[in-house]
Amino acid sequence: MSHPDVPETIRPLADEPAHGRIPGNGGIWVGIFCIWVEFLMLFVVYFVAKAHNPEAFNSGPAKLVTLAGTSITLLLLTSGYCMVKAIEAIRRDNQKATLRWIIAAIILGLGYPIIKYFEIRWNVAHGVDGEAGIFYTVYYYLTLNHLVHVSWALLGLSWVGIRTSMGFYSSTNYRTLEAAALFWHTTDVIWLVIFPFFYILR
Amino acid sequence: MIKHAEKIWLTLIGLTLAGAWLAETGHAGWPLTLTVAALIGFKGMLIVDHYMEMRLANRRIRRALLIFISLVMLLVIIGYGWGDIFRQMTLLN
Repeated sequence: MSHPDVPETIRPLADEPAHGRIPGNGGIWVGIFCIWVEFLMLFVVYFVAKAHNPEAFNSGPAKLVTLAGTSITLLLLTSGYCMVKAIEAIRRDNQKATLRWIIAAIILGLGYPIIKYFEIRWNVAHGVDGEAGIFYTVYYYLTLNHLVHVSWALLGLSWVGIRTSMGFYSSTNYRTLEAAALFWHTTDVIWLVIFPFFYILR
Repeated sequence: MIKHAEKIWLTLIGLTLAGAWLAETGHAGWPLTLTVAALIGFKGMLIVDHYMEMRLANRRIRRALLIFISLVMLLVIIGYGWGDIFRQMTLLN
């Protein structure tokens, strides 16, 4: 059945309506909302700490490497774009292209922990460790917590990558692949909030 | 012709670079706070609606995601303009 008002890239599966569909599967949305609640609480912690220590939060970003935060943002956004293309490809039943896009997303995503490693080394060498002040304590707690979630998401992408290479997914069966992409995009949105908190806001 | 996904990606990259430029200028105050809140809201909505394809998907899920993003924007604004509220609410004595 065709849906003329729905773009080709948002074509639903055969067993669901064109509008109002639930992308991925129900389980992934439970996980996504748990992550949002968790990080919303951490963001409240950030603002409470900031309210009690305004000077530390005003001067804190100056000692962090903006280039590192910006590079991580660009990598995550581009990796997310690769997963959008992977979903587009599987809807065309092009499994080879799907796999290529997933591998590209994983490679770009792996840039995050690598940049983080060098950023932390630079920080520690310049006296910006977990005991350098409340701003940096919150910075390490929030960013490393996010890194843990990104690691899970990368494992998820690896899993769907392996299954794609084994021919598990097609234009009529890609819910798990879409669920992994949704989880990946969620870590992306969360980082878009964390980035200005520590590198831009004064 | 640039396709839809590429347009969204380019917009997100452009906004990120604008944010990085803002960070380097070292500005502070209301203009920066409101710009950051707007950037979080706009970039968040672009990912939710276009990367996650929620524009035509289940309305309740989309609404819940947009509420989360709106709450973060609200926290940014209240945190700057009325941060003392957070401080008063969390005093231990």
